[in-house]
Amino acid sequence: MTRVLVVEDDAQTAAEIAAALGDHGFEVECAHSGQDALDRAVADRYSAIVLDRMLPGGVDGLTILSTLRGLSVDAPVLILSALSAVDERVRGLRAGGDDYLTKPFESLELTARIEVLLRRRTVPERVTMLRIGDLEVDLLKREVRRGGKVIELLPREYRLLEYLMRHPGQVITRTMLFEEVWSYRYDQRTNVIDVHMGKLRRKLDEGGLPSMIHTVRGSGYILRAPD
Amino acid sequence: MRLTDLPRTTSFRLSVLFLALFGVSSLVFFWFLYWQATSYLDSSVDHWIQRDSVVYLTSPGEIVQRLGTHAERDPDAWRPFGLFDASGRYIAGNLRSLPEKPVPFGRYFEYQLKRNGHDAPFRGVGYRMPNDDILIISYNVNEIYGFEHLLLNAMAWGGIMVFAIGIAGAVITGLGAVRHINGVTGAIERIVTGNLAERLPTRRGAGDLDRLVNLVNGMLDDIERLMREVKGVTDDIAHDLRTPLTRLLGGLERARRRTTSSEEYARAVDAAIAETKAVLGTFSALLRIAEVEDGARRAGFTRIDLGRIAADVVEFHAPVAEERGVLLSFDTDSPAHAHMYGDPSLMFEAISNLVDNAIKFSPAGGCVGVRTFCHKGRVGVAVSDNGPGIPYQEREAVLRRFHRLEKSRHTPGSGLGLSLVAAVAKLHGLTLTIDSSYPGSCVTLEREQSGQIPTPSAAPPASAAPAEDRGETEAHAL
Repeated sequence: MTRVLVVEDDAQTAAEIAAALGDHGFEVECAHSGQDALDRAVADRYSAIVLDRMLPGGVDGLTILSTLRGLSVDAPVLILSALSAVDERVRGLRAGGDDYLTKPFESLELTARIEVLLRRRTVPERVTMLRIGDLEVDLLKREVRRGGKVIELLPREYRLLEYLMRHPGQVITRTMLFEEVWSYRYDQRTNVIDVHMGKLRRKLDEGGLPSMIHTVRGSGYILRAPD
Repeated sequence: MRLTDLPRTTSFRLSVLFLALFGVSSLVFFWFLYWQATSYLDSSVDHWIQRDSVVYLTSPGEIVQRLGTHAERDPDAWRPFGLFDASGRYIAGNLRSLPEKPVPFGRYFEYQLKRNGHDAPFRGVGYRMPNDDILIISYNVNEIYGFEHLLLNAMAWGGIMVFAIGIAGAVITGLGAVRHINGVTGAIERIVTGNLAERLPTRRGAGDLDRLVNLVNGMLDDIERLMREVKGVTDDIAHDLRTPLTRLLGGLERARRRTTSSEEYARAVDAAIAETKAVLGTFSALLRIAEVEDGARRAGFTRIDLGRIAADVVEFHAPVAEERGVLLSFDTDSPAHAHMYGDPSLMFEAISNLVDNAIKFSPAGGCVGVRTFCHKGRVGVAVSDNGPGIPYQEREAVLRRFHRLEKSRHTPGSGLGLSLVAAVAKLHGLTLTIDSSYPGSCVTLEREQSGQIPTPSAAPPASAAPAEDRGETEAHAL
């Protein structure tokens, strides 16, 4: 079972995070102080760590993170913060964080991102062909086929599909798609990404094929082979 | 401040200090003048005594005869000369008796003689002759003494007058300062207790205190304006958040009252979640505007390509425009040069807000054009549409938080989009102009290409922003 360490000083927030991750099938442990977090992370192996930036006693979570990395704890770390400025985010990533999430966030956003962080460690990067069901993406030729039939995609649609294909069966939120495919970072609140996804889905499902991209209630998508 | 506080005022203290300095220096000056004048007069008398002495001492044989002649010429004894024997008895001359105090031989001395019933001052020298006779040569120094006395008198009176005028001046300036300070402190007290419309009193002229007062008054104007704005924003926030919160509460209460099946509960919870998300979204948008206005994000500025960002925005919104039947076009006059320093994500968001608005308010079959330009040293981006436009008197207002035109009330949106655009523009030193010609409007963000961004912060390190830099590079890889 995948074990996640949640470092968060506010007990209720920690409980909510633990509940959300627990519902998602993770085994969760909580640490409420920086020292506690260090002790646990060094003693035990965790698959991922959720780290709040503001810890009691004015300890910056980034200090804990640097210490952990110094002690060669290499579990992926997702930083939670109320600070949303870009340079804060850059600081967080530079200190050894793998992802950065600004409070308040939706539980789906958190679990989806942790899923991706965990999978990133296991998926070999050197693949040239992604295949889910009858859908194939040739990464070298940038060619998409479904059931052997070539599907013409716009560059942006190709990148959306590639990202989903690299994380099959995982929830990918709109924000993640926007960050990954458009590479700008802010809280996109329009439904523009849904329109892009709708177009992509229509192209993939052309000819009455069963849909592979499913909308997750809330704010995400999931790519699955048709049953 | 009361009158007893007068000695504590700066102007009074300064006046007194200068009065004292002036008094001491004039005292020194007058003393020197007095000393020079008296020693000159004394030495001229001494000179005459010396000359007469030489005549009498060089011819001791003729001394009695000469003294007789002198006595005849000077019957009033203005210059009393006299010869006395060793026991002090009168022999010759117009000085009839020895001075009362003992005569210091060979040295100048001063003594008093009765003349016309008054004591008069004389200065002279006594000599002991070889035959032990005593010769006195002296001059009346009444006039010299009179002059010296006059001089001292004049100095004393002058000093007293200067002192009196000085103290009076110090009191007057001190009182003026007390009155002004009283006015200022009174005004400040009234401002502190809540009357923000109050201003510090100013006087005619441009004294240092008045310059300060004018500055403070300018500051108060700003504070009053800001307070009004904050109050306006607070009212708007309260109003715009109360509506969704009321809906949320109403929905939850209704669910509590009526819902029987778990499906209905789930629907009510979903509705509550959606409503809460909307409220949170409004809060985040407000916080973001505050963050952008704060200017801290300048720390993350890099060199950005306005043309590429605008092209990305157009590409991003293209499917939506297509869906709504709006023709969205991108155009640039300088494919390579529309560079400036900035935050790529914020610029994307700002242009995106403008395009989103333009598409939202364009009729089906309308046109939205995005154009970046770089000519005559100005770089910028313009978003135009042929929608309903923005009435002239609303141009300023649309940039305010939560402001929405009456006819747009029914469309979704928080009314914060243009406020964010304005904040981002300000952060980047861009001027925002709204041109509107019915139908249609054109929003332009532009600045001088070479101009400095206001208060630029240190350039970020070249290797910074592993993720953010892609805003300019990877985003265009395809």
